[in-house]
Amino acid sequence: QEVTLKMHQMLPQQAAIPSQMLEVWANNVEEQSNGAIKVDRYPAMQLGGVPPELVDQVQDGVADVIWTVVGYTPGRFPATEVFELPFFVDDARAATYAYWTMYEESMRETDFPNMKMLATFVHGPGLFHTKDPVETPADLEGMKIRGGSRLVNQMLELVGATPVGMPVPGVSEALSKGVIDGTTLPWEVTTAVRSSELVSNHTSFEGAGLYTLTFIVAMNQGVYDGLSDELKAVIDSNSGLDFSMLGADVMLDFDARGMTIAEDLGNNFIEIDAATVEAEWVPAVQPIYESWVADMNERGYDGQALIDRARALMDEYKAAN
Amino acid sequence: MSDTLIGILSFPALLGLIFLRVPIGLAMFLAGLVGLVLVTGDTTIPLARLKSETYTTFASYSLSIIPMFLLMGHFATLGGMSQALFKAAEGWLGHRKGGVAMAAVGACAGFGAICGSSLATAATMSRVALPEMRRYGYAGGFSTATLAAGGTLGILIPPSVVLVIYAILTEQNIAKLFLAAFIPGIIAALGYVAVISIYVRLYPEAAGTRPRVNYAERMRALAAVWPVLLVFGLVVGGIYAGWFTPTEGAAVGAMGTGIIAWVNGGLTWATLGESFTVTAKSTAMIFFIVLGAAFYNGFLALTQVPQEIAGWVVGQGFSPWVVLAFILVFYLLLGCLMDSLSMILLTIPIFWPVMQGLDFGFVSLIELQGSKLAELIASGAEVAPALLAEAQASLAQGIELTRDQLRELGIRGATEGALERINTERVAIWFGILVLIVVEVGLITPPVGMNLFIINAMDRDTPMSETYRAVLFFVGSDILRVIVLAAFPIITLVLIPF
Amino acid sequence: MYGFFYRLSLVMAWIGGLVLTGIVILICVSVLGRTLNGMLHGDVAQSVMPALADWLIAAGVGPVNGDFELTEALVAFAIFAFLPLCQITGGHASVDIFTQRMSPGVNRALRVVIDMVFAAVMVLLAVQLYAGLLSKLSSGQTTFLLEFPVWWGYALSLIGAVIAAIVSVWIAATRVAEVATGRDILPADLGADH
Ligand code: NA
Ligand code: NA
Repeated sequence: QEVTLKMHQMLPQQAAIPSQMLEVWANNVEEQSNGAIKVDRYPAMQLGGVPPELVDQVQDGVADVIWTVVGYTPGRFPATEVFELPFFVDDARAATYAYWTMYEESMRETDFPNMKMLATFVHGPGLFHTKDPVETPADLEGMKIRGGSRLVNQMLELVGATPVGMPVPGVSEALSKGVIDGTTLPWEVTTAVRSSELVSNHTSFEGAGLYTLTFIVAMNQGVYDGLSDELKAVIDSNSGLDFSMLGADVMLDFDARGMTIAEDLGNNFIEIDAATVEAEWVPAVQPIYESWVADMNERGYDGQALIDRARALMDEYKAAN
Repeated sequence: MSDTLIGILSFPALLGLIFLRVPIGLAMFLAGLVGLVLVTGDTTIPLARLKSETYTTFASYSLSIIPMFLLMGHFATLGGMSQALFKAAEGWLGHRKGGVAMAAVGACAGFGAICGSSLATAATMSRVALPEMRRYGYAGGFSTATLAAGGTLGILIPPSVVLVIYAILTEQNIAKLFLAAFIPGIIAALGYVAVISIYVRLYPEAAGTRPRVNYAERMRALAAVWPVLLVFGLVVGGIYAGWFTPTEGAAVGAMGTGIIAWVNGGLTWATLGESFTVTAKSTAMIFFIVLGAAFYNGFLALTQVPQEIAGWVVGQGFSPWVVLAFILVFYLLLGCLMDSLSMILLTIPIFWPVMQGLDFGFVSLIELQGSKLAELIASGAEVAPALLAEAQASLAQGIELTRDQLRELGIRGATEGALERINTERVAIWFGILVLIVVEVGLITPPVGMNLFIINAMDRDTPMSETYRAVLFFVGSDILRVIVLAAFPIITLVLIPF
Repeated sequence: MYGFFYRLSLVMAWIGGLVLTGIVILICVSVLGRTLNGMLHGDVAQSVMPALADWLIAAGVGPVNGDFELTEALVAFAIFAFLPLCQITGGHASVDIFTQRMSPGVNRALRVVIDMVFAAVMVLLAVQLYAGLLSKLSSGQTTFLLEFPVWWGYALSLIGAVIAAIVSVWIAATRVAEVATGRDILPADLGADH
């Protein structure tokens, strides 16, 4: 039996996750199946469509394997939003551990019943990249800041900024032309967006990051079901917690590279200490927690239970490592 | 049949369909659909793609600029802007030999500046200028050829719909591309004026003159042009200065020309309806081609043919200039058969990866760092003199500055990553302008040229053959211009900051 | 019949044009709001009339929330609404340099075949757009900022797509009837402007 898998995603092949995570997976699968599985790589949306369609593409079989940002399809995978809550995640590895565990416990049924999940992971701490320095929520007053998901935009509004919804590829043009005064991004993607060349102030937070976004690497269920048991075993042994952790590791590794570039450019780094975060920032965003829990309860989830479970699992991971 | 073979065979199949008069968007769509079925083995994937792809192709923020620019061009005509432009140019140039024709080219350039489409520019200006030219004794073929050529300035002088699509396909900054098109656009207009003065010397009977107009009247005519300048300045200036995105610029322009047309009494319910129907037809035509191209290009990517062509070309070790020459000649030939938008959509996804891989030696790291250092000195920032002297010395010796040096100097954006981005951007802009010019030449090269057809249809007395003969002079000036701009990239790139 | 379908297409184009005008106004209001918001936050406004400036900001003077996603959904509707007129006026770009030299009979046959294929494609597009609508309806996907269901945009677009499909099928059927009866029903210059 020979199978060719079409792997589709939105970034160029040399970007962090495609080159360091997806490529590793493709090579391993090809090798361990002794060539019975061949993976064709289609970077930068070459097979057509826009990034939010990747989820549909893997469900409909347009692509066999995809990598995507869950937040690009608001309303579809509500439970995953727990990791997007502001000042919630302080360790991408711990959150990735919690995410995969919760995927197996409940999200598989509630959010992702139609796909074969290969990995679930989060990026490193998100932070502000702005033209003018941001030290307190008051500094954000009147600034147009780009946000990357539903909850991030709500959070921006609460801290006083004017949220501008915009996909990542539009960020550099908008920054260079002054359409926005800053953006929220993790360090990792600043290398691709080149935002550090465009704005010179970076505001990070001690302890938990401003926010994180969640990712999935998923396979078409029908294609997986059609494989022989041997080949299924190859896919299985290359998916799950370890593969998810690789994603988190790549993110953290590239966070460091993004920071180095900003350092080389002589940019201004602002780190808000834990006490100030607690006193000035956390109270400002507190309403999101309440509205999110209410929203989730309305959708038939137990919002508070998701928060508690994620916290418990992240603590469990940190205690063990 | 291998996927590659299917991909390659799709080229002749597509051309065959187009030559059988199948609408270009439909032909691309069919080639993509049949190709996808052949490559994937059944209809599941093409059908699944269609579930969302038509909608997401049409629901595009960046492409929404197209109907808005088209609407803006129509409002400009209703607002009397085209007549005002022609009157002003005629007042200043009309008494010279060939002056009315020059005035028509000048007015085309001015109108092109607020209209995103060559066809619209040609059609509008011929409505205004053709009767005048015929009245002052201009030969039929010379008049139609002048207006057909002048109309092509609509693509070159920003804003331009074709340039917007090129920018989106190559992921480049639209504002910079608009800026880069500016000087080549002026050169094009001057080239046409030169052609006219040569032509009237060779064929003195082809042109008459009109009586000289006094200066008071000339100034009055010039003063009437201010709305055009205002709208052009607001749209292009605002996009470049960062007041708004290109899409927002198009909306502001449509609003501005709409208000002027309304104030001038040109915008009534009847003319508004006509603006909508004209905009509707062109928009639907363009977006159907965009849809067909997206579908066909998705199929081509699946066959990996573009990647293999790009790899092959780069692997051959042709000099980048030879590759460029081949591509431009290819466009000139194809331009005799197809319209510019279809060509861009069909070919840029294949050619751009090739061009992107070539090094034309535009900027070196030394050059970039040198210019950043000069900027630093000019800004009057305080830098330790020793540090500065050391940096200047190493650059003079051709040694690149280290990261530490750059950091201490506080020079931003002078790293290798920045260099790569600048090089790619410069190749993209320069190549884009060259392609834009060659596809625009296609609009006036016999036998098939959209502008030739449209204007010839407006002047029933002039046989097509006369138009063909006269337009060759303008085509000659176009080809000369392409050679000059290709040989001296600086002409295109001089306005683009690092 | 021609009159009916032509008027229907014309009305759709006008509705699309009005929606396009609405987008133009929406974007201009958003740009204006953004500019004013920046000015109100600026030093001049904050020192001369701080209370008024803050009141205006609180009253919502700023960019239109979700202008980006509204533009996308509405422009899709407008373009689908423009399609019927393009179909019935033969407005699609094509190359007739080779077919010009062929006999009228061959041209007539080509026209029938092309219009039939075009009708089939337009029906396919409408049917698959409907399938897309159903899939977005069941997935519950919303937009980023306004969080309105994505299927609303699909539903609006479906109106234009269905009318374009009906018009195309009618054109194709009429072409067949023309060949069968040997009479011209559609105006002769349909498609002649290209
Ligand atoms: Na133009
Ligand atoms: Na031509």
